[in-house]
Amino acid sequence: MVEVLIQDSSMLKVDKHYEEGLLDLAIKASKEILNDQLKIDALIVSNSYSEKTADQVLLSTKLANSLGINTLTFRIENGDASGGAAISTAYYMIKSGMIKTALVVGVEKLGDFPMHFVNDIISQNLDEKFSYREGLIPQSYSALRMKMYMKKYNVDYDYFTEWPYLMHKNGAENPYAFLRFQADKKTISTSQVVSDPLRLFDTSPRADGAAAILMTSDDVNLKTEGKVKIASITSANSEFNVLELPAVREAFNKTKDFKPEILEIHDSYSINAALILEEIGLEKGKSLSMLDSIQVNFSGGLKSRGYPGGATGIYQIAEEYMQLTEKFPGKRASGERGTVISTDELGTTSYIINLQRC
Amino acid sequence: MKVFPPQLWRNKETLYTLIAGKCNKCGNIVFPYQEFCNKCKSFNISKIKLSGKGTLISWTVAYQNRPGFEKTTPIYVGYIKLDEGIEIVAPLTDVDESNLKENSRVEATVRKLKSDSTNGLIEYGIKFRLV
Ligand SMILES: [Zn+2]
Repeated sequence: MVEVLIQDSSMLKVDKHYEEGLLDLAIKASKEILNDQLKIDALIVSNSYSEKTADQVLLSTKLANSLGINTLTFRIENGDASGGAAISTAYYMIKSGMIKTALVVGVEKLGDFPMHFVNDIISQNLDEKFSYREGLIPQSYSALRMKMYMKKYNVDYDYFTEWPYLMHKNGAENPYAFLRFQADKKTISTSQVVSDPLRLFDTSPRADGAAAILMTSDDVNLKTEGKVKIASITSANSEFNVLELPAVREAFNKTKDFKPEILEIHDSYSINAALILEEIGLEKGKSLSMLDSIQVNFSGGLKSRGYPGGATGIYQIAEEYMQLTEKFPGKRASGERGTVISTDELGTTSYIINLQRC
Repeated sequence: MKVFPPQLWRNKETLYTLIAGKCNKCGNIVFPYQEFCNKCKSFNISKIKLSGKGTLISWTVAYQNRPGFEKTTPIYVGYIKLDEGIEIVAPLTDVDESNLKENSRVEATVRKLKSDSTNGLIEYGIKFRLV
């Protein structure tokens, strides 16, 4: 059976790259891992919002032409879970034996716009017939979740400060992070209220980014520094549920025996971090008080590394790959097995990608 | 022009009268209406008009908004259990915050959501108010 390897990765610092467009960023991330000897069989672009943010479609063809690659190209869009979906697609294609190499490029530009306009972009994740038309924003769904969680488990707002506090502490060491500063708990708990009780530090700073992953079958020998095997990928989806993430639980249950030592999770909101951790085994209502017991989001997660939309999952994979190959330039985790949990904004779809050092 | 009449017209039953789908096989209610039951996978669905009456389970007040909704910001948003048994997230209106309580009774009412420009198309939709 063909094994699927990650043989290289690259990423740009998540930032407001005002001088560069979507394609410029994608080229920058890609050229880091391309070389003359490498034949790319498929180019997959992970991007969620280009129609609204850059007035662009046909991204994968344009990127392939810019890189001088003439091959199978397409873009994968599944909201903020696009990264997990793109990696899954490349994985199954290589696993099938039909192709040997895939370049997966995540790219997004959310940094050009004022807040209310980005809210409109992100609100496309809500259903069109009612929720989007009614003017709702996803932050309100998260606020309702948070409030009902606080009531159910009898915790106050301070409980949630643990998450952004840890993320900013981790991200301060990550040179690729957007907000590279530590934040004390008082700053977090007195930050602007977005949708009561959800505060600014519970959300994710929207910015631009591009990251790339080189995936191959195990018979492709490249002179790269470090290989990681994709041990398995599972996925699931569910409708919005206030206090549970069935999509994460079901995808995780399909791969329970993997037992990862390092985690990268999609913490779009602090409450999502708690719910994800609880769906994969931490005690309900207590997960954010147990963060010392796990190695999670050493990148700084969406809070500190930042939130580059549909490129986020590719960043997560690149970060885990660098951790497992001992190349990550920030805070180092220890272990040989890592898991990436790539979800959409509200956790209705999930891709669980298990990585193992070769 | 940012508001296109067909987009509003085709959603009129959802946005003005809370029309949902009820599965004739398993009783599952889906809102907004669709011609398929996502529980038992039946195509045997009837249109029903939700009563618009329900109970407020929780609420939040949003200080951020989207283009076109500036005038109604901050936006109160309720998590509402309708009497038909389904739970929805929807805007609240006519709110006096001191009167908002868990388990308050609420009812649907049609309100202006936004307008395209000062003399453009107006979008209407359902909001909920305390009874
Ligand atoms: Zn049914």
